[in-house]
Amino acid sequence: MARILVVEDEMLVAMLIEDAIVDLGHQIVGPAMRLETALDAATNETFDFAILDVNLAGKQSFPVADALAARGTPFMFASGYGRAGLADPYCDATILQKPFSPEQLAAILGTVLVARQTE
Amino acid sequence: MQQGTGDSIDPFQFLGHLGEAATIIRGYDWASTPLGPVESWAPCLRTSTAFLLHSPVPIVMLWGPEGVMIYNDAYCDFAGHRHPALLGSNVREGWSEIADFNDNVMKVGLSGGTLAYRDQELTLHRQGFPEQVWMDLDYSPILNEDGVPAGVIAIVVETTDRVLAERRNRQETQRLQNLFSQAPTFMAMTEGPNHRFALINPEYQKLVGDHELVGKTLAEALPEIADQGYVALMDAVFRTGETVKRASERVLFNRTKDAPLEERFVDFVYQPIRDEKGMVTNIFIQGSDVTERVRAEMHQKLLINELNHRVKNTLSSIQSIVSQTLRSAPTKEEASSAITNRILALSRAHNVLTEENWNGANLRTMIESALEAFQYPGRDAFILRGPEMRIGPHAALSIALALHELANNAVKYGALSSPTGYVTINWHVEDNGQFLFSWTEIGGPVVSPSDRQGFGSRLILKILPLELRGQAKSDYRAGGLVFTLTTSIEAITDSALTDAN
Repeated sequence: MARILVVEDEMLVAMLIEDAIVDLGHQIVGPAMRLETALDAATNETFDFAILDVNLAGKQSFPVADALAARGTPFMFASGYGRAGLADPYCDATILQKPFSPEQLAAILGTVLVARQTE
Repeated sequence: MQQGTGDSIDPFQFLGHLGEAATIIRGYDWASTPLGPVESWAPCLRTSTAFLLHSPVPIVMLWGPEGVMIYNDAYCDFAGHRHPALLGSNVREGWSEIADFNDNVMKVGLSGGTLAYRDQELTLHRQGFPEQVWMDLDYSPILNEDGVPAGVIAIVVETTDRVLAERRNRQETQRLQNLFSQAPTFMAMTEGPNHRFALINPEYQKLVGDHELVGKTLAEALPEIADQGYVALMDAVFRTGETVKRASERVLFNRTKDAPLEERFVDFVYQPIRDEKGMVTNIFIQGSDVTERVRAEMHQKLLINELNHRVKNTLSSIQSIVSQTLRSAPTKEEASSAITNRILALSRAHNVLTEENWNGANLRTMIESALEAFQYPGRDAFILRGPEMRIGPHAALSIALALHELANNAVKYGALSSPTGYVTINWHVEDNGQFLFSWTEIGGPVVSPSDRQGFGSRLILKILPLELRGQAKSDYRAGGLVFTLTTSIEAITDSALTDAN
């Protein structure tokens, strides 16, 4: 079981991601729905992985990604913009285009969390 | 050569010249003129005649107060059909069309003065019709042996061809200038390796703003351009002679003194101009300010991206509604009806937001729209009390979805399941900026909290407060459910869904 920070500004989507993660047997941190709360969580909470929406009520979530990268915590983006919504230095980061299936999420989480365990 | 007869000496020996004019002079009846027979001519007249006959420059001499004309071969050509009748005539009659002009010449010359005209315009009848001509005219007196002016000598160089050529050039330049200044595109011409502005048109001035350009180099006139690599680009065009073309190029101009740099988008061409030896001497700059077009394209692209994002997010929201409703609905029929109603609630909220371009909404309008589906004719199910206020698009959407869940619950289990029940909805903003919202059910059956964490209660109690960075609470009282939401005015007036930039 892993602890996963969910950063997502749309209520319904946040609930969907929560369900998918809980169904996979993991634990939710958050969801953080605004940049300020996400930054706070990224800095102060303990978790193994993060899923970041790119646009948080008009603000881009890249500062959150910066904070996670600084901590060495793996993360991925999930966005309706798809890869086109990413900017440097995250253009090649892992991203799920919304909408996505629980299976797509599970595949990514599986890869990341296995890699973490073998480190 | 006409020789004197017998052993008499040739009276025209002093001429020493064999040209056309000399021949006529020899044969002329000078005794009939104020000059008198050639034998009586003063030495100064003889010397002057011989002098002018030997000159390759058109020269005419106007002798005595009458201005009797003696001229050389070069002047014959100039005189046209007037020649040979002109020779020996008085200047006033000989050039009757410019008698006034020559009166002045005689007056000045015979007083010892000189006159010089450059490109003097005169109308002459040399070929039997009036003709506009231009001449460089130099008049100086000829003094007799006593030092008194006896005649006037005129050097006459016709400049008509040159004047007309210059006039054509000026007209051509003027025509180009007009084309240049009236062109809808910007144009400028620079000279030399330092790109000194030689010509600019008003559109170019408009593009670059308040700068003095002509006479200055590109780097002097527009230092901000140099910093952006355009002087280097012009250098390359000058050096290689190769045209440079750019489209929709972003250039920053310091268009107003002491103001920040302004962004413009331009299509342009740097075209090298070569001299006859093939060396680049100038660069012609031409192009269009396409800022408005580029901005419109960028805006359109932004809108399309934004629309795509919104569609994807909406699909995700639908996915969430379907997935979560299916988890908790006891039957397929209930699931189907709940999914439909939730999608319609989302759609109504989108309608209100679309009305205002997704910048926000009036809170009362949003509440009325969310509850519209639960209104019954002849019954005031909802009493709304609160100030007129605008809320952000996120808060609007969240509150609309929450109200749908609250109302749906009230119809099924709460106050609205009873014919006399109703709901009051109150909101206000405290002096300290706190925003308070309450949903109070009155006149319903006694309800108790269910253990089941359904979609609705999860949305209003867990997710809504996260979304609005506040606290949500539900309280089951005798009359029915009381739901309260406490947050800050900042949280509910949140900015637009996306930054415009």
